[in-house]
Amino acid sequence: MSATLDSLINRPYTAGFVTPVESDSAPKGLSEDTIRLISAKKNEPEWLLEFRLKAHKHWLTLQEPQWASVHHPKIDFQDMVYYSAPKTKKKLASMDEVDPELLRTFEKLGVPMHERKTLANVAVDVIFDSVSVATTYKKKLAEVGVIFCSFSEAVQEHPELVKKYLGSVVPQGDNYYAALNSAVFTDGSFCYIPKNTRCPMELSTYFRINNQESGQFERTLIIAEEGSHVSYLEGCTAPRFDTNQLHAAVVELVALDNAEIKYSTVQNWYAGDENGVGGIYNFVTKRGMCRGVNSKISWTQVETGSAITWKYPSCVLLGDNSIGEFYSVALTNHRQQADTGTKMIHIGKNTKSRIVSKGISAGESSNSYRGLVRMTPTAHGARNHSQCDSLLIGSRCEANTFPYIEVRNPSARVEHEATTSKIGEDQMFYFSSRGIGSEEAVSMIINGFCKDVFMQLPMEFAVEATQLLGLKLEGSVG
Amino acid sequence: MSAVQQINRDDFLDGLVRCWPDVAAQDAAWLKALRARAAGRVAALHFPDRRDEEWRFTDLSALRELNFEPAPLQKLQAPFADFERLIFPEAAATRLVFVNGHYAPELSDTHDVPPGVTLAHLKGQGATHDLAASTHLAQHADVNHEVFSALNTSLFPDAALLFIAQDVVCERPLHLLFISTAQQTPLLSSPRCLIISGRNSACTLIEEYVGLGEGVTFTNAVSEIVVEEGAHMQHVRVQDEGREAFHIANNTVTLARDAHYQSINVTLGARLSRYTLGVVHHGPGTECSVDGLALISGRQLADTHSVIDHAASHGKSTQLNKCIVDESAHAVFNGKIVVRRDAQLNDARQQSRNLLLSARARVNAKPELLILADDVKCAHGATVGQLDEEQIFYLKCRGLSETAARNLLTYAFAAEVVEKIPLVSLKTRLRAVILERVHASTETA
Repeated sequence: MSATLDSLINRPYTAGFVTPVESDSAPKGLSEDTIRLISAKKNEPEWLLEFRLKAHKHWLTLQEPQWASVHHPKIDFQDMVYYSAPKTKKKLASMDEVDPELLRTFEKLGVPMHERKTLANVAVDVIFDSVSVATTYKKKLAEVGVIFCSFSEAVQEHPELVKKYLGSVVPQGDNYYAALNSAVFTDGSFCYIPKNTRCPMELSTYFRINNQESGQFERTLIIAEEGSHVSYLEGCTAPRFDTNQLHAAVVELVALDNAEIKYSTVQNWYAGDENGVGGIYNFVTKRGMCRGVNSKISWTQVETGSAITWKYPSCVLLGDNSIGEFYSVALTNHRQQADTGTKMIHIGKNTKSRIVSKGISAGESSNSYRGLVRMTPTAHGARNHSQCDSLLIGSRCEANTFPYIEVRNPSARVEHEATTSKIGEDQMFYFSSRGIGSEEAVSMIINGFCKDVFMQLPMEFAVEATQLLGLKLEGSVG
Repeated sequence: MSAVQQINRDDFLDGLVRCWPDVAAQDAAWLKALRARAAGRVAALHFPDRRDEEWRFTDLSALRELNFEPAPLQKLQAPFADFERLIFPEAAATRLVFVNGHYAPELSDTHDVPPGVTLAHLKGQGATHDLAASTHLAQHADVNHEVFSALNTSLFPDAALLFIAQDVVCERPLHLLFISTAQQTPLLSSPRCLIISGRNSACTLIEEYVGLGEGVTFTNAVSEIVVEEGAHMQHVRVQDEGREAFHIANNTVTLARDAHYQSINVTLGARLSRYTLGVVHHGPGTECSVDGLALISGRQLADTHSVIDHAASHGKSTQLNKCIVDESAHAVFNGKIVVRRDAQLNDARQQSRNLLLSARARVNAKPELLILADDVKCAHGATVGQLDEEQIFYLKCRGLSETAARNLLTYAFAAEVVEKIPLVSLKTRLRAVILERVHASTETA
């Protein structure tokens, strides 16, 4: 069994190539000048520059957080490029004018950038290093009033919306990496769903880091007006370098009365090699605010990549009867480290939240669930149920669970359960006695373990996630 | 500015630890050296505040604002009013009593202690038990990193010693009673226990902390328990200090191969109490069951931190911790289960159950798992809620009043832990206390 596991786990990282495009980069280092440069390049209004400078000023006063169960050498924030964009000669008029080299890159990654070729119903915004290179199906979306574009474009064309909501969920000074992002964010996706509209297709953003020395700092803002509904997908890959790149994104979701946002991520940044050399540091702040009554925000994530993952997609349940959900599969192998989980802050009456977290650790990796469920004194009748299961593959890996439960309302009810186990010999025996080989058996067991989460993913992603997990684990079960 | 803060911050500790040479005047050389080392650690460590993860929910600033003095030797007139209440018939002549950390011979009675069992205090032994004491004292508690253990080690005036010889089964429960008395000036007591149960021995131990009089006291207790190969120990710990008291206790348990340890901790008293329990499974085949009950109201804060460390293979642990929180009280539970690398085939289970009885009550629960071995079964669960309306309805259908139904359910919630206590008289006493508290809370509500 161990041989099959090894071959399962050690599949090469297929997205690890570099695209030879000429890029336009800012010099290394972070200072007010860098920020002014980014802001000028993007032709931003004064208020946004102010926002950035204020964040930078605050960032300088903050200490790098030390509490997470991850270890890495100190990050040198001055030895990093904060702006890197593929060179373009003129403003693009249509998809056909996108650099063919870029198109090929995304073709190779399986990301559809040609509208006619796309998977039936997905609109894609593609972010390459620091900038958005293309957004598909914009026109079709505009017909129903949905705004889906790159963040830079939104700043130019819908400044009133950006100004109103930017930083309203994750303030500039929220935490170390959020402050850094607020100062230097370059691009990202912006999405606005008008009142009583059901977004006719899945929205998707694909992030790609290409430059070896650049950090990626994108900012995503999704606003769902009253009674609207949107499903949003996010995917990411990076080339294979033997240095570490920093990815510090901020995602803000706002759901007003009766609105629903479903946010799914399949994260497959380069994870470093088997000795832990290289890979992305994925330090992300994701937070959703259920502002209106009966609103709902649902996070689904499949975390398979990154040398270090450090993210806690959270829900602030402000509106009465609002619902927060978090479904997560985190897989770590080799020397990967993941410290991930969620925060559910119950403020409104009868708010509900559900947490399902599945951690799989293999190799010498470390996988931690860290979560907070807080019932404030106003959260009458609030409910939470959390379930965190860990599966250990191999005797050198680590699985940790750190749930924080804070309750200040007696009518609130919180339930948390967690288990840790391995793939049992008897389970394997059961499969082999029915003629199923060990590799397939392991893959079935793991898929069964993750089923609760995969069921939440949109179809296309569910298939991808299942395959990804199979790839990642090839050869690790023994 | 920061230098000034530094000085202010540790004034509290410096003021106390300064007294250690007086306490150590009569000590043997090894103990003096031990105290000197501990005093050095107190000077090096800082007073914990809420930025320390271990003290995140328990604010000690109220403690730090007070000026405590190490409690001097004080004689209580025996038998004083409440003393009879504190004696268990089963352990009437197997008890040691300490008043503010000092041994109280006039209250102790050890004439039923069977052969093979030593129930003594450190100061009264001369050199008889020095070897065992010097081998184990402060070797299990984390004197190097935990400031209150270090403080206790530098200042404890005397220590309770309980040694069970190899193969001895002690039928009688053994009772260690620590009384703190409130005085005009706030006093610090530093009770200390060292318990060693030898190979294949068995015993039942009651460790009890009570407060007399109204006023501020600070008990900083440290217990070290060594359960040797194949030994069985049952340990009941009751904390019922005064409502103005601060109580900080560290208990470290070391289990050798095939040792069994069962403990029940009941927290009723103190304005602020913190119980830190560490159980280390050093040998394979060990088993422990660690239960707790906190029943608090008013403005009480009860904090239980436990670390169950599976350092060897084939171990088993179960834990059930319950808190009943009324009025503006605040319960904290942090339970950590660690399975170390290569400690395979361990089975660890933990449950944290919390009942909130009032709108102002507050619970912080943090059950943690740290698993570094793959062939293990570990599970934990935590719930926080109020009494189930359906259960209340069920009882009301059967003719119980709303109040009676609530009392019955609350009592039953607590009983799950209390019923495990092996000592009948203690169990009866605690049942009465719980009923009384439960009734009091519904009357005021």
